Amino acid sequence: MHSAPTTYAGVADVIAVLVLLTEFAMLRAPLLRSQVRLYMFQSLVVTALAVVVAATRHIDELYVLALLSFALKVVLVPNLVLRLLRDADVDLAGSSVLGVASMTLIAIGVSAFGFFAVGSLHVHSTALPTTALAVAAAVVLVAFVLIILRSDVVSQAIGFFSLENGISVASLVVAAGMPVVVEVAFLFDLLVAVVVFGVIMRVHHGRTKTLSTDELDRLKG
Amino acid sequence: MSSVLVVLIFAPFAVGIATFFLPVRFSKVVTTVSGASSFVLALVLIPAVTSRSHVAAGSLLRVDALSAVFLTATTFLYGATAVFANGYLDLAKGAAGVRYGRRFYAGLNIFCWSMIAATLVNGLALLWVAIEITTVVSALLVAIDDTDGATEASWKYVLIASLGLGIALFATVIMYYAGTTVFGAAYDLSYTKLLAGAGRFPPDVVRLAFVLAVLGFGTKMGLVPVHTWLPDAHSEAPTPVSALLSGALLAVSFYAILRYFQIAVRTLGPTFPRNVLLIFGIASLLLAALYVLSQRDLKRLLAYSSVEHMGILAIGMSLGAPIAVVGVLLHVLAHAAAKGTAFFGAGSVVRKFGTKDMTKIRGAFSALPWSGPMMVASVLALSAMPPFGLFRSEFLIVLGGLSGPRGVVAVLLVVLVTLAFFGVSWSTTQMMFTQDAQVGSSDNPGSANPAKGEVSTSIVVAMALGLVALVVLGVHPPSQLNHLLNDAARELGSRR
Amino acid sequence: MLGHSVMAPEGVQALQVLTVMLGAPLVSGAISHVEGRLQGRRGPRILQPYYDIAKLFRKETVVTEESSWVFLIGPVIAFGCYLIVPLLIPVLTTYGLPLGYMGDILGGGFVLALGGFAVAIAGTDSGAPYAQLGSSRAMTFGALIEPTILFVVFAVAIITSTDLPYALAATVRSSSAEMVGPSHVLAAAAFFLVVLADTGRIPVETHSGTLEFGMIDEARTLEHSGPPLALLTWGAAMKQLILYTILINVFVAPWGLAASGNPAAVALAVPSLLGKAVALGLVFAVIDNLFSKLRLFKITEFIAAAFLLAVLAVFLFFAGGG
Repeated sequence: MHSAPTTYAGVADVIAVLVLLTEFAMLRAPLLRSQVRLYMFQSLVVTALAVVVAATRHIDELYVLALLSFALKVVLVPNLVLRLLRDADVDLAGSSVLGVASMTLIAIGVSAFGFFAVGSLHVHSTALPTTALAVAAAVVLVAFVLIILRSDVVSQAIGFFSLENGISVASLVVAAGMPVVVEVAFLFDLLVAVVVFGVIMRVHHGRTKTLSTDELDRLKG
Repeated sequence: MSSVLVVLIFAPFAVGIATFFLPVRFSKVVTTVSGASSFVLALVLIPAVTSRSHVAAGSLLRVDALSAVFLTATTFLYGATAVFANGYLDLAKGAAGVRYGRRFYAGLNIFCWSMIAATLVNGLALLWVAIEITTVVSALLVAIDDTDGATEASWKYVLIASLGLGIALFATVIMYYAGTTVFGAAYDLSYTKLLAGAGRFPPDVVRLAFVLAVLGFGTKMGLVPVHTWLPDAHSEAPTPVSALLSGALLAVSFYAILRYFQIAVRTLGPTFPRNVLLIFGIASLLLAALYVLSQRDLKRLLAYSSVEHMGILAIGMSLGAPIAVVGVLLHVLAHAAAKGTAFFGAGSVVRKFGTKDMTKIRGAFSALPWSGPMMVASVLALSAMPPFGLFRSEFLIVLGGLSGPRGVVAVLLVVLVTLAFFGVSWSTTQMMFTQDAQVGSSDNPGSANPAKGEVSTSIVVAMALGLVALVVLGVHPPSQLNHLLNDAARELGSRR
Repeated sequence: MLGHSVMAPEGVQALQVLTVMLGAPLVSGAISHVEGRLQGRRGPRILQPYYDIAKLFRKETVVTEESSWVFLIGPVIAFGCYLIVPLLIPVLTTYGLPLGYMGDILGGGFVLALGGFAVAIAGTDSGAPYAQLGSSRAMTFGALIEPTILFVVFAVAIITSTDLPYALAATVRSSSAEMVGPSHVLAAAAFFLVVLADTGRIPVETHSGTLEFGMIDEARTLEHSGPPLALLTWGAAMKQLILYTILINVFVAPWGLAASGNPAAVALAVPSLLGKAVALGLVFAVIDNLFSKLRLFKITEFIAAAFLLAVLAVFLFFAGGG
């Protein structure tokens, strides 16, 4: 079952794995600011992957996309959130529901599910090895774990943004030829979502003077 | 006809921008005109669509019978809500009120624009983009009241719905991949193209994409178990926004699922997609029926009723009989009108009594001489009583179910709908007809029996519009509409 | 002239043991020296460990009152274990040596663990609180890190379809694609963290100075003196070199090894190994300077990270990434 992989496949896979590892690092990052920095790094890695694909597979539109995603996800979005954090003057995330080791184990479990679920699809791609797709699915699932188990608005928002990073990796694998208009629309949408997340985070902080979601338990039933 | 599409895609957005700068009294007029004319344009499109199968403008905009149904529902509610909001809004004096009014009207128009856009665009990617815009705009509208509850609800809403749409984006990407096996690496995700090639897509991939799409868009549609944002957002939003969320937004999300359904049916055959919808539908209907029984909050009650009706839609699709599909599409229209009217009535009651807690609202029927009875009528309509549209649509769904192999499901549907009917009618009857001696006593001074009289004539007009539509749909739907529904049902692949 | 003669495999094998035994203090000394420089000190002489060991052998042995013969035999057993492991791993050659098939990578791991156990039990036998504390901590964290080691072994085993260290090294050498494959990279990274923990480096432990509360490995030997302490110190240096050798010659850089029994090639392999080990040691020294020690109960997070890498390595292989 072990077909000889190419160097390109290996490098691309390692970059994709780096995205996943960053997602895992987010699970434990105790400082809100480091959470944002991790997202910044992750976006940078995704951008790098796009450039690698563009260069080796000669898909020129991807350069445009990489440029845009760099401007947006590495520069603009993290800085918006960091500014919010500066204004809010909160450093530490609240304690999460579970300990780091348990969270890691759960996340390993769900990423295993992602790996094997996608692995059973037998997807073929000319742009990237399919392992990267499995990794992308794992990133999405771990982002869910992050959002569910961390109880502060910043981690939850970052969890959503990083979920989008996972999907970006997936789309590089299976839909690298997707029209650039569509991709730009996706990115633009992310930007709008970020602004809205920011506004609501600000409102939340304005009302409760905290970034924790523990206060948000009034509405039920 | 394609110019109609262009107008529909630009005008509400332009109105939204304009209302952000206009004084509120102009905004009211402009928004009402925009809503009403959108509805008229949607009606104009119906005969064109039925006679020519579709209307397109460029490669990006395209309306066929299926999207026309949802476009009609959305634009109707756009107009009716604009009328209702004129009477409902009670703006504070001074700068705060002006700011609120501007934000509200700009948000309302752009929200409606994004929903209209979702039905007009031609392609899964653009559809996703439009629906994501509906999320962010409506999240801001949910938060607009700036209370603790509104903040909490909007955070839950924007987070959960965004996650759902994240999954939906994944579904889009996977579906794109399914297409590349037929069309090559680069193509646009337009419906026509996808439907043409769907027969040759890899089944496993389409299966995954469909499940992800149901889960993702189902989050926005309010399917159990991913409905958790819905009651909060519906109850904490300003009432006009609640009406739009419930009547139009959920339907538009359903529309997105149907687009995937169309493709999945062509690739996989009908069994798998129907089973997926059946599971979600039964879960939604069951849970909503139980929650409805125990609600005290008027707007939460209506929200769970929406979950219930979304469950009915999903079940109706899963039955597969053409007549049931026609019933589902009629249900979309009738639910928009009925839920809109019910929320308008709720808005009237809430404004009158100053509380959403149904145990504190008594004698609303007599306190509100017009909107009270109409509220009761809308609740009866929601419970699928004749002569309203929902009776006809649920009747068609059940009929389709009984005629097909899934008779049990149809029976279950009837039982659960009846259960929900008891829940809704019990609470509302208490609220409407009981004259409680406790009310007005010193322990809850906020709910003193208010004087008889309407809050606003605009509210009454909006509710009357909804009821008229319901009666029309129930007694004698126009033949053009029947034609449209049949065409749309055929597009959903059940009559191939 | 030399090129025509061939060294007997047994001779090469003995040379492997000798290389590790005699080279280990040199590597330790070099690392300490550089570390001193990095911290702004002049640092000890590179050959200082040899002097230390020689001096300890000349000193008398002091034994605590509570201890038994285990206290004295532990260091000897440990030293013996560290002499056996170099027989099993590729220290100098690319090809397997006769006794190399005596044990696979798991076997090597067991022998190493047995050495650690001997040290721990000797520490416990001293009856002194710090030594016992160190022993129990070392065993606890050892148990926690065990699954990681197992998963690294699994990853290696499924990549090469054998569990012989020589085979993995050969696979890695075979193509650059293998070198950058995600499973391999992750397994190597996980093993790197294991080495970090097993050699008692920051962020798990401060290896220099006496910080009793944070001590793990170091505390075990507090009660020993004289020749037993010499064996323990020497053994620790050998264990470090053994772990470095596995990381270098199996995972990261299996080059510069002798491909045949040619004496010149074998002779070249010795400095090449020691050079690579010192280079790796420098990396560890830099890490030592960049990070601070984790609190004791945060070490589980460190171990969780290593475990994660190892598990992902296995998953990725099955997901098709190799």
